Order: sequence, then structure tokens, then C-alpha cells
Amino acid sequence: MTQTKLEMKNITKTFNQDTILNDLTFHLEKGEIMSIVGPSGSGKTTLLRILAGLEKPTEGEIIMNGKEITKQKANRRSISLVFQQPLLFPHMTVKENIDYGAKVSKKYKAEKIESLLEATGMARFRDHYPSEISGGQQQRTALARAMATEPEVILFDEPFSSLDPSLRQDLRYWVRDFLASRETTAVFVTHDMEEAMIMGDQIAVFENGKFQQIGTVETLHQSPANMRVASFLGGHLILNDHEFVPLHAVQLGSQKTSENGVSFHASVEHITYQHGRPIVHLYIRELEKKISLPINESLPKQEVQVTIPCDSIKTFSGEIL
Amino acid sequence: MILRKAFFLILILLFFVIPLTALLLQSLSAPWRFHTGQGIDWGWQGYSTLFENPQLWEATFISIWIGFAVLFINVTLGLFTGKALASYPYRGKAWLEALLLSPILIPSLAIAMGLHLFMIRIGLADTFWGVLLIHLVPTVPYSIKIFHNSYQQIGKTMMEQPHILGAGFWTQVFTVELPLLKPAIRSLTFLTIVISLSQYAITALIGGGRVLTLPLVFFPFLENANTSIMAAFSIWFALIPVFMYIIIESLMMFLPYSRLPWRNHR
Repeated sequence: MTQTKLEMKNITKTFNQDTILNDLTFHLEKGEIMSIVGPSGSGKTTLLRILAGLEKPTEGEIIMNGKEITKQKANRRSISLVFQQPLLFPHMTVKENIDYGAKVSKKYKAEKIESLLEATGMARFRDHYPSEISGGQQQRTALARAMATEPEVILFDEPFSSLDPSLRQDLRYWVRDFLASRETTAVFVTHDMEEAMIMGDQIAVFENGKFQQIGTVETLHQSPANMRVASFLGGHLILNDHEFVPLHAVQLGSQKTSENGVSFHASVEHITYQHGRPIVHLYIRELEKKISLPINESLPKQEVQVTIPCDSIKTFSGEIL
Repeated sequence: MILRKAFFLILILLFFVIPLTALLLQSLSAPWRFHTGQGIDWGWQGYSTLFENPQLWEATFISIWIGFAVLFINVTLGLFTGKALASYPYRGKAWLEALLLSPILIPSLAIAMGLHLFMIRIGLADTFWGVLLIHLVPTVPYSIKIFHNSYQQIGKTMMEQPHILGAGFWTQVFTVELPLLKPAIRSLTFLTIVISLSQYAITALIGGGRVLTLPLVFFPFLENANTSIMAAFSIWFALIPVFMYIIIESLMMFLPYSRLPWRNHR
């Protein structure tokens, strides 16, 4: 049986007449991980800060386990927040940092600390100070410290963005498995779609103070709600305000390839390689859109013809959920 | 690297070791005049005159008390004001900061003269508490500035972290803020104690000569030309902040998560 862990109802936040969050409503089941993805400056961090209790919403309510907690202070909520920077206490060792979380939340158990040290691979560095360990180790310690408070919900604010790419990759999977093994409910904020896909069961595309769409990766790709979602995913060619084509349906050639379709003139801007395949970056002047497509052989020409079969043209679903 | 070390050594010798040695030697010898044909007379006259002064110990203790009290109030006021300045955004912040700094822009004697009347009215003139209060005037602005800067350096998010983990206000102050503010407390200790210790005019005015601090005992001696006595006084004077600093430093060791020198790490 699933139970609703965290619920946000009609949350609005205005700041100096600017609406940062506009009437947000969503809920999380126990053990569910949701990724919130959106461009920087879209108010994702504000959303997390309101959930954590660091800021008050202008309107709306937050409900946890059926109880309203909107007015509860951050230190009384069973919600933990992992920031972009590890923010370890520099005057405490790795172990003391983790202990601290457990002690202030009055959930200290020596075995728990040990298992967290083991799980994060920090047991060997328990007596090191934060300045003596690497960025990835610091972030893992910060995570262990957050977990030591045994939060019912844990919030992440782009926790990997300050790490180098290879480390980021490792840590993503590690955190995902770690959360899954403990059935922790989590909200994961990022501006990176790939990260959002790895981390979340559900993905919420957030822009302009609103959820543009909430759903699984498949739903998002198969039926994006609107132009914003589609352009953020980058897997579609947007034809106009209500029509799009999935990129895999787009055909390339020197001439129009299909009789029953629309055709555009495109210029080759660049060819790069990704996952071992050449990717062509095209600019379609008529639509003022750039698209990237994997190709099988190199295209010698500067100009190509992009053909879209009529039956692959779809309309935006317009459904947020 | 060697050049820099040498430079540092020369500076230390020139501005610290040599003057201090000269002062020490001067306090241990009778005044010596160039070309009088006499050698140096070693002796304890400087110190014996110092300790013969019946008011010396009383003045020293009162000075230390006032110093500690001023420091304590400064840390408390500075800490919370600095924290508030660093954490709350509001309009007119620059004005408020300027206002809080203003007591050191206006001569403290002018403030003291104004406050004197007020203190007479409420019965604080000629008392320990009056002197204590007036010593806050030239020190509190510095503490606010120092703590404000330190809190800014620690950063807002670092302050939010313990709160998120579940720490209450006071737990946070003692476990995270005070330990991270140690450098600020150190500079503040020296600053406030030295400032408080060297106030003559305002102490004399508000204390009315009844609250006896070290400068009040020293001033009459300024007129005499006996450099040995003055040197002995100066050393006595300089030892007090050092002594108080040691006490504060040992107290700070009791703060949570301190690295104690005798505790073995790794």
C-alpha cells in the first residue's frame, strides 16, 4: 500500500511583486524519488527552501504524513536538505560531522554512525577534517550527515554540480541506490536532464514558477505537455505552438525523402561525436530551430533536406500530470 | 624564501624584540644619562616604587574586572548584532551599519561628557557600572564590525546547515558559531581589553576618581622623569592583556569540538 508522505498544496511565493512560485501542487508517496528539473533561476531552490522550512510560502500549505507543517520551523521538520556545497563543519572531523546530525536530532546510535561511515566509504577517513578530504568525499560525508538525522524526506539541491563529471556519474548511482535501499522519500533538484532521469522515478519539469509537466521519462518523451517541456527535453523538433515531431522520425537526405510529408531546408553547422556515433547539428532557418541528430555516415554537404512524415506529427498533450 | 624570512626576522627584531628588551633593561636599571661618565646601575627601584603604591593591586583588579566585563558584554552584543546584520536582508542596512559605527567616529570624550549628566541623574556616575558602560562606547562598534565580517565570511548557508539538521538556537551558537568565531573572539579580546585598559579621560570623568583603574594610578607618574619607574609600569600594564588573553584562550578550549593540544589526533 502506498501512502502519501509529503504534499504541497497551492504553494505561492512572491518576492517584491515577482511571482517565483505560482500555485504549486504535488505529492510524493513514501519511498518515491522525484526529480525537479528546470533552467537555472527558475525558482527550484526557493521551492526546496520552502519545503525545508528555511523560507515561508506567501500562500498555500505543506502537509506531511497528513499533518500540516507549513508553520513549523526547519529544525522541527523531519526533512533534511543537502545543499550544492557540502557545507561540512570545518572544526569537526568526518565522524563528528556525521555524529552531529544524529545528536541534534536526538537519534544517536553508535552502530548507525558506523554503518553510515561504511556505506559512504568514509570509515577510513573518520578522523580527517573536511579540509583534508576531496570534494566527492565531502559530499558523501554531507549526505551521511543528512541521513544520520533519519529524515522522512530528504531534499537535494544540485548536490553534484560542483564535482567533476566522472565523480558525478559515480555518485549519482551511489546516492540513488542508497536512497532506494533505505526507502527514503526524496526530492532532487537539478538543471541537468540526464541527472534528473537517473535520479528520479518521476520527473517534474519546472519553469516560470510552475510545473510544466510531471511524469515518468517515457511519458515526458512520448507526450510532452507543451513547447517548454519539449524544448527542455531536446528530443523533439517543435514545429509550432501546438505541434511537434519526435527527432527519431525526422529523416535526412539530399532530397525530400518521403512523398507524404513536410520538408525543410537545413544547414549543417557542426558534426560531433557522442556515444561513438557522429551527431550532426542542423539549423532549420524556416523554423529558426536547431536540432541534433545521430547519423550513420558522414554528410559531405553543407545543405541538407529535412523531411518529416505527416503521420509522425503530434500535438502537445497539454496535460500537466 | 630565505630573503623573506630574513626580512621578517629583521622586522621582528627592529619593532618587537629590541624595544621590548630595552624596556625590560630600563625597568631593571636606574635612569642612565649619556656622557655623565657613570655606568649602568642595576636594581629593582622601578618595581619597588611600583609595588609600594598602595593602590596598585586595587587598580589592577578593578581594571581586570572592568576588562572582562567589557569583553563579555562586547562578545554578547557583537555576536548577536553581527549575526543579525549578516543574516537579515532589509532596507537601509548601510545606514544602520553607519549608525552602529558612529560612536568611534565621534570623540568618546564628547559622548562621555554628554552621558555624564545622564549618569549623575540615574545614579551611575562615580560607580563601577558607570565606568563599565562608558567603556562600551569605544569598544562595541568594533565588536559589531568584527562579528559582522566573521558571520559574513562563515556564510549564510553554513548557518542554515545546523538548523536544517535540527539544532536549536543555542545549540547552534555553542556547537557551530562560537567555534568558528574563535579568531574573531581572539582579536576582540586584545582589542577591547587594550582599549578599556587605556581609557583615562572617560574613566576619570565618569568614575570621578572613585573607580580606580590603572591609568588613574599611572598618570601622576607621567610627570616625573624617572624612566625606570615608567618602564616598570609599562611592563606591568602590558602583562595584564597577556594574562587575560591566556585566560580567554583556555576558556575557549572548553567550547565543543575544540582541538585540545593534549588530546591525541590520529
